[in-house]
Amino acid sequence: MRTIKINENISKLANEVIHDLKASPSPELFKCLQCGMCVSLCPAARYTDYNPREMIKKILEGDEDIISDEEIWNCFYCYTCHSVCPANINACEVNQILRQMSIKHEQGMGKIAPFLTYGESFLEMGIGSIPNAFFDRLLSDFGEEWLDLKINLDRVRKEMGLGPVVLPEDSIEEIKGILKSTGFITRLEKIRLLK
Amino acid sequence: MKEIPDSKIMLFKSCLVSVEYPGIESSSTFLFDQLGVEYHREDRQSCCTGLGHYYDLFDQVSTTALAARNFWIARESDHPNITVMCATCYAIMKKAAKILNHQTNAREEINDMLEDAGLGNMVYHKGDIDPQKNIFHVAEVLFNKKDTIEDLSKVDFSQFNIAAHHACHYCKVHYQDTLGGVRDPRLIDELAGACGVKTVGWYDQKGMTCGAGFRQRFTNLETSLKVTAEKLLSLKENRADLLLHMCPNCQMQFDRYQPVIEKRLNEKFNLFHLNISQFLALALGADPYHVVGVQTHTVPLEPMLKRLDIIQSPIKGSKLKMNY
Repeated sequence: MRTIKINENISKLANEVIHDLKASPSPELFKCLQCGMCVSLCPAARYTDYNPREMIKKILEGDEDIISDEEIWNCFYCYTCHSVCPANINACEVNQILRQMSIKHEQGMGKIAPFLTYGESFLEMGIGSIPNAFFDRLLSDFGEEWLDLKINLDRVRKEMGLGPVVLPEDSIEEIKGILKSTGFITRLEKIRLLK
Repeated sequence: MKEIPDSKIMLFKSCLVSVEYPGIESSSTFLFDQLGVEYHREDRQSCCTGLGHYYDLFDQVSTTALAARNFWIARESDHPNITVMCATCYAIMKKAAKILNHQTNAREEINDMLEDAGLGNMVYHKGDIDPQKNIFHVAEVLFNKKDTIEDLSKVDFSQFNIAAHHACHYCKVHYQDTLGGVRDPRLIDELAGACGVKTVGWYDQKGMTCGAGFRQRFTNLETSLKVTAEKLLSLKENRADLLLHMCPNCQMQFDRYQPVIEKRLNEKFNLFHLNISQFLALALGADPYHVVGVQTHTVPLEPMLKRLDIIQSPIKGSKLKMNY
């Protein structure tokens, strides 16, 4: 009888994805029907070459090149694929896991570098803010009235009976302590080194 | 239907509500006061990390560890019913609670990190927060008070053709937990219905994302705006003139970019944008500036307020002067 020897490592990538902290319990990756429902409603698939069905297929084939595939960065994280999948696969979450794998290398690091100031602002205020790298473009798109809002925010909020946006000092210290323990501050340092 | 609380609510502050549309927060508290909902706001509460998380900057451990701290604050202040104004907070907080309850290794690892940070008092115990019974969207709490809203509603919006945009991170992420499911969500439509309005209901792109796509708005703006434009065109086809939102990020994408898209496509959309809390607050007679906060919007709302006889004439000059 003829037997086909399956590559023992073929499931390595799939298992890594399934056991990621971010993966929903039992993401059923191996039950993918390749039906394409995910692609049919995907906004990224409509306007770019991103293809969630193809992404799952490559993972099941053990093709690690998918981690460095530029197209995975086009997903909108809208979870529409997840909401229509007949096999209950969360392609959106799988994409997020692949991007985090990519961030272990320089290519992925480069993708999060423009958002560095969001993290810095979080450590200073306990709340994220619009990443500096894009501020000027937003200003030219949104106009001067939006800048007025940014400049006068505290007063506008006060007139509406709302307090300051920034957290109390001891809360900020707690947040910094937590983000030091989780390795987030180290991640930001790595981004700075890259720049 | 799931049980929705009307007390011990921690109104969970949102970064985008705070800095872009603070009127969503003051409208929500106005409504809670009017409807007898008992709530609390916490200075110590941190942002959920949602935007940073979906920029791929925040990893799952960091996001979950900060959620554990916020969960502790909610319980310690005896207001464990976390109620959010933003769809991203909704998805992020539910995910964090599910991880902390069901993934023992992750919970222990995160608790060790809290101890390392000198916050041993904040460690999470399995079941501290139930993602189904302790985490809600403001719109759900309001839905529970639909009959009272009907009684208190003062402003007749029936001259407007109103459509709803149910945010993806409310409908699609934890879709088994939501009110109205994912195929044709009607939560906003029915809330507007409580004020005597018959909405557009279904339209071709009702289920489509706003197009913000987190990083896409910044690193891939052209694609992002194509998606937003497709939804706007579908709304125009249905003659919508007021779109109701439940997420400040979606609202920002439509309200701030609508004029940009109008220029690019050489189209006029004539579409106003309000969060469902802002809409209901107006319907119940709230001040358009001091409560609803229309002065922070990009698409001017004064023409709508004038048609409703809420203001006599649009305020001239800088919108933020507040000299009215």
